[in-house]
Amino acid sequence: MHRLLARSIAACALAAAACAHAFEPTKPIELVVHTAPGGGNDVLARAIAVIAEKEKLLPVRMQVINKPGGNGAVAAAFLAERKGDAHTIGLVTTNWIVGPLVTREAKVTLSDLTLIAQLVTEPALVAVRADSPYHNMKEFIDAAKAKPGALKQSGGTPTARDSIMRQVLQQHTGARWSFISFPGGGERIAALLGGHVDMMIIEPEEAGENIRAGKMRVIAQVADKRLAAFPDVPTLREAGYPVALVPQMRGMVAPPGIPADVVAYWEDFCRRLVRTASWRKYLQDNQFEDAFYTGPELARSLDATTQQLRAILPEAGLKLVR
Amino acid sequence: MQRLLRSGDFWSGLVLCALGVYIVTEAQGWSYGGPDGPGPGFFPLWYGVAMIALSLTLVLRTMLARRAPRTVAWPEVRRALACWIVVMIAVASMKLIGFMLSFALLTWFIVAIMFHRSHALALVLGIGGALVFQGVFDMALGVSLPLGFGL
Amino acid sequence: MEILHSLLDGFGVALQPINLAWCFVGVFLGTVIGVLPGLGPPATIAMLLPLTFHMNPAGAMIMLAGIYYGAKYGGSTTSILLNVPGESASVVTCLDGYQMARKGRAGPALGIAAIASFIAGTFGVVGLMLVAPPLAKMSLAFSSPEYFALMVLGLAMVVLLSGSSLVKALLAMLVGLWIATMGTDLFSATSRFTFGRMELLGGVDFVVVAIGVFAIAEVMSNMEPREGGTMLPVPRGLRNLLPTWQDMKDCRFAFVNGSVLGFLIGVLPGAGSTIASFLSYGVEKAVSRHPERFGNGAIEGVAAPEGANNSETGGALVPLLTLGIPGSGTTAILLAALILWGFKPGPMLIEDSPQLFWGLVASMYIGNVMLLVLNLPLVPAFAQLLKLPPYAMYPLILGVSIVGVYSDSSSVFALVLLAVFGLLGYLMRKLDYPAAPLVLGLVLGKPMELALRQSLMMSQGDLGILTARPISATILAFAAIMLLLPLFRRVNRWRVQAVEQEA
Repeated sequence: MHRLLARSIAACALAAAACAHAFEPTKPIELVVHTAPGGGNDVLARAIAVIAEKEKLLPVRMQVINKPGGNGAVAAAFLAERKGDAHTIGLVTTNWIVGPLVTREAKVTLSDLTLIAQLVTEPALVAVRADSPYHNMKEFIDAAKAKPGALKQSGGTPTARDSIMRQVLQQHTGARWSFISFPGGGERIAALLGGHVDMMIIEPEEAGENIRAGKMRVIAQVADKRLAAFPDVPTLREAGYPVALVPQMRGMVAPPGIPADVVAYWEDFCRRLVRTASWRKYLQDNQFEDAFYTGPELARSLDATTQQLRAILPEAGLKLVR
Repeated sequence: MQRLLRSGDFWSGLVLCALGVYIVTEAQGWSYGGPDGPGPGFFPLWYGVAMIALSLTLVLRTMLARRAPRTVAWPEVRRALACWIVVMIAVASMKLIGFMLSFALLTWFIVAIMFHRSHALALVLGIGGALVFQGVFDMALGVSLPLGFGL
Repeated sequence: MEILHSLLDGFGVALQPINLAWCFVGVFLGTVIGVLPGLGPPATIAMLLPLTFHMNPAGAMIMLAGIYYGAKYGGSTTSILLNVPGESASVVTCLDGYQMARKGRAGPALGIAAIASFIAGTFGVVGLMLVAPPLAKMSLAFSSPEYFALMVLGLAMVVLLSGSSLVKALLAMLVGLWIATMGTDLFSATSRFTFGRMELLGGVDFVVVAIGVFAIAEVMSNMEPREGGTMLPVPRGLRNLLPTWQDMKDCRFAFVNGSVLGFLIGVLPGAGSTIASFLSYGVEKAVSRHPERFGNGAIEGVAAPEGANNSETGGALVPLLTLGIPGSGTTAILLAALILWGFKPGPMLIEDSPQLFWGLVASMYIGNVMLLVLNLPLVPAFAQLLKLPPYAMYPLILGVSIVGVYSDSSSVFALVLLAVFGLLGYLMRKLDYPAAPLVLGLVLGKPMELALRQSLMMSQGDLGILTARPISATILAFAAIMLLLPLFRRVNRWRVQAVEQEA
């Protein structure tokens, strides 16, 4: 009897102690992104900061810190340095997985950091100019097979999703077309609109307006199911190309060495964030897909993506260094 | 020979030639070109070769010239280099001792040592300047300068 | 006619008291940021974004745009007075502006910079207003081969900037190309010349090199004499504080050159204000009757680049507002801001939101006037800065340089690089290597390599693509003419001399 009482008192005390030490941020939160102001993750980070303020998700301010360079390597290293800091978090994309695989100097991998949650995945569209002769994916692939290397795609770095999708499609169909890297999204679109390249794989919100104005046409979707905004365009699988879709995800991480209650706090923050109406509207406006994972599910999903990338990247001509 | 060894053009030509050789060597380790167009080794190879060619031209020209090289006023150069060393130390130690302290020390060095003004003036300018910079940039503009000492 | 009607509507929006206030806040902030090296419009606009959600979108856009072009006005101040480039486009202004200051003409230099900025800035707005949609469409014809040709034209400027020794200028340019190559190769993700350091993966920041090679090296040079070098003469009297009518006449062509060239280059996504200012400086020098004055304090050498970097902002807004394509870092954030406010930048923006577009255009006219009024009276005030004794001036320059670089990169490694480039700049001075070609090589190296590789990928290895396309062929022809022009002049002079001797 006494032992049971003692144990329950101990349990209560422990619970009380845990509650008393539950983490609450006390100084401004720094949200680290790996792009310069205006780049992809920077925009999302600022939107998150705005939503957090509007929906009162945090007792303190959130500010965005830009650490561009090395495809995420600089930002990753910065987070690793902030070991144990509960007031710093980072916004990551799939690039943070790819970088360490192919760049020797990118020493910090996602497994060195504390995973919090995955927030969204970004679908993509296969787009051509409005007056292009290709009305569906099959026509494009057939034309590419007929003249190997003659057709051109504009895109980002060879580690970016559009390049990886090209590799995957080329492997699957046996067709070959060139890939021309442009450092900025604006230049890629300009190259397509100007007729200098034939096709590009682009995120819906980047292309949205040009599609609406009738300057670009979408011939396929890189997604598991059709996006609401494009009900008539088949997905790659529906078009007859059941290739692996390497996800372009965006998620949140924290520096290493963070205590469990802080991790729980941030997971909870993400959970509350994705439930707000502002977030849902943002997702809709930007055509992100809600893909909220956390905990062990997240680790599994990231592992699967890493293995996928390990298989695909060497075919893209990149050397694995890790 | 003496004249040659004292000529800045001669030495800088040699250094640039060595740099060119380094660049070309590194470029060999990258792919020159492939089915997807020129590779990372393409550009460096060409400007490395140009660098070697031009620097050798410079060296040859110096060897064949009849003009005596300019004399170098070494004491003055030493002053400039001393100043540079202090700048480097100030900058490298900024993480450890913070911006304000390193800037104050740098200013003190310039005012007191380089310009031979009184130490009091130097310290006033140093500390005043550090405070002004910290105030304007850190507080007004939100640029957080290093505080040093693990802060 | 319709344009005039829309413009009047726009003035209706821009002249509302609240929007006028935001315009003033924007241009004032922009000027301050432009004066301070390192802190640039992209970072500031990004910082202010959350605040803008409480404002009306037109007013917010007016303010942010004000920061954007206001910064271009302020950038010349430290370039002229301290030889510290306020931002990358102001590097060219250092060349002649600082030399003018050394000759006691800091006032006219600052003044002509403001005036050229006003004329070119207004030209840019007029261009944006009148020819935006058709020009945007034409700019789509520009792609990698044309960009490469443009870069070659830029590098041809080296010949014009070479000073006494062409070999040394070319070597400096090659070193600039080498520094430009440091970092991650875009096409293959290989790291080049990073010496194993992660901080170099993103390449070397232009601001670090420019401030190091210009400002730090200048301070070191001035440390040499025991008495600490001569102070810059302070201009005395109002006549010496502002440009004279003769100065304005001399700059007639520079105003046109800067305005037109800057605007056209601004329209091209990817080509930036730095290239615009270098090119207009080069063109100015090429057509001048006394090219040897450039680099020694030619006032046109200040007017042309300063004008170019201002009309470039008007040009950069063309692809942003008509196609939704951001051409540079700052326009990328403006794009993000527009999206966050719920606008849809793209080909239909002008139709869908005429108030935003025309209100913005009208506010830019007003903003340029505000900036002229703000900056001209500040000239005497800034010129007083030169009264500082050297032992106070040099720590000031060092402090501004260090804080400027740190605010941009937040890394001590960047500061160490700054010091290293300072040493390099000093050595270059002692050994008579001109600094401008190094900077030129650094600025043009990456875009040139990218453009060449993209072009060769487009043509599958055929170099002929560069001459087969009309636009790139024309630009390459221009470059050839620029390179041959000095030769023509020399031949002409011989010819004249020969004729005179015979007579």
